[in-house]
Amino acid sequence: MITVSHLSKRYGSRLAIDDVSFEVAKGEVVGFLGPNGAGKSTTLRILAGFLGPTAGVVSIAGHDVVTDPIEARRSIGYMPESVPLYPEMRVVEYLRFRAELKRVARGRRSTYVDEAMSRAGVVDVANRRIDQLSKGYRQRVGLADAIVAKPPIVVLDEPTSGLDPNQIRDARAVVRELGREHAVVISTHVLSEVEACATRVILLHRGKLVAEGPPATLRTLCRSRPVALTVRGDLASVKNAIRSIPRVTGCELEGKPALETCAIHVTFDPELSSEQRGYLVERCVAELVTSGFGVRDVRELGGSLEDAFAELTREVEPGVQRSRGRDSSAP
Amino acid sequence: MTTFWPLFKRELFAFFVTPLAWVLIVVFLLVQGMHFYLLIDHFTSQAVPTGDETPISAFFGNTVLLYLVLFVVIPALTMRLFAEERRSGTIEMLLTAPVSSASVVLAKYAAAVTTYGAMWLPTLLYVVILRRTGTLDLRVTASAYLGVLLVGAGYLSLGVCASAVTRSQLIATSLTSLVLVSLFIVGLGEFVVRQGTTAQAICAYVSVWGHMNDFASGIVDSRRIVFYGTMIALPLFVATRVVDAWKWG
Repeated sequence: MITVSHLSKRYGSRLAIDDVSFEVAKGEVVGFLGPNGAGKSTTLRILAGFLGPTAGVVSIAGHDVVTDPIEARRSIGYMPESVPLYPEMRVVEYLRFRAELKRVARGRRSTYVDEAMSRAGVVDVANRRIDQLSKGYRQRVGLADAIVAKPPIVVLDEPTSGLDPNQIRDARAVVRELGREHAVVISTHVLSEVEACATRVILLHRGKLVAEGPPATLRTLCRSRPVALTVRGDLASVKNAIRSIPRVTGCELEGKPALETCAIHVTFDPELSSEQRGYLVERCVAELVTSGFGVRDVRELGGSLEDAFAELTREVEPGVQRSRGRDSSAP
Repeated sequence: MTTFWPLFKRELFAFFVTPLAWVLIVVFLLVQGMHFYLLIDHFTSQAVPTGDETPISAFFGNTVLLYLVLFVVIPALTMRLFAEERRSGTIEMLLTAPVSSASVVLAKYAAAVTTYGAMWLPTLLYVVILRRTGTLDLRVTASAYLGVLLVGAGYLSLGVCASAVTRSQLIATSLTSLVLVSLFIVGLGEFVVRQGTTAQAICAYVSVWGHMNDFASGIVDSRRIVFYGTMIALPLFVATRVVDAWKWG
């Protein structure tokens, strides 16, 4: 549905998006994740046709956004971050206007508007003026607007910002449901959000695509993730044996010790490469076995998405981070 | 162009649902009503009519009252068209709908011209009054109305363009007023600059004052039509390109 290849966007001398490529298929909910200023909104605005790409090709349902902008925009329903709406219009008037603007045939217009209002949950405020609505309702009117013409692609920029917890849950349910029949792209900097509704995550940092995959895969990219071991033996001596190994940063008991076994989570130096980390896991097992303990189970656990996020968005400029560390330690 | 109609309706709705259009119409009609009253008073106090001046030619031509009110009303009509949408961000909703820049510009412009026309509509009552009480050449009247419509349409086009180049409504208003007043003053050069020079010819060509005097006397000159046609088309074209350019900012 969406194909983006080698997309770049330059604002003056600042490169807001740097050579980003990805695809979104029907039935997917793709979450754009990244710190503020990572280029999420800019990317979505280019998809929606509000901004033009500096370089690269963006195709929406087979229509190029630069050469065939009208058809590309017809295939997309977009909700901007701040959900700007005409304050002097009533909700139903506004949605009828938008449906007409999006070329919904006259005969189907009121059915489409009614459906969009019930899906977004704004039926009870249909005759209220938009400037009298709360933030939550305005957000939902924006959502209704995005889906009113039943476009194959729905793009929502921060659909849950400014909502209360109940509204957030409702909005996520709507997004998940949309994912069944549309290709959905959302952006957020709330990590639990992508876990709750995205089937795939695209992580942006400083305009670059730094990671892509299902949320679960992203967790395994987290280097500080622990390894779970089930060991037969005395807890204190097991801990001592593990802690004596260099570059092991932690060894904690998980849950309650059983009759003769205990489950422990071992964490390693996050600076290690995944290969070095693998050898270190082997070494832990070998150490335990030679010390006379029985190792019954070894499992890799996923780290938290928060840690993966923090590591991946910090990693792009390791030079800066390290030199800063050195400076502060200098006398 | 299929999107022209919904955009036009929405703009017109925005004009009349907010008090702005009503305030402008009231101000406009108060000034014009006072103007008409003074003229009638002037003509009735004359024992013998002098020269070829008629109430119509005096109402539309040779009067500064017409321009003074236009310099206030025109920028106020056009200032919000683009500037407000950019300030509030609704432009993002508008331009991500399947609409062309040309239809957006034309719809906004057409709504402004329609509102301007609605302002003049009640003044047709004066024509009815004049016809009841004396003789009136309807062709001259039609020519005069064509004149104010063309001048207004040209001014509004400049206003639309000014509104597209800035996010600030205040700057849009000031810019429009500045351009309109400058154009008017250059036109007055017709009477100031030495006769027979190129400068004087240019001043006469762009002189709104001169144009309106002709229209008010029933003279419809094709040069005027070309001039106002250009004054409408050129700023609208520039505004369309400006709207296109926002994408690449």
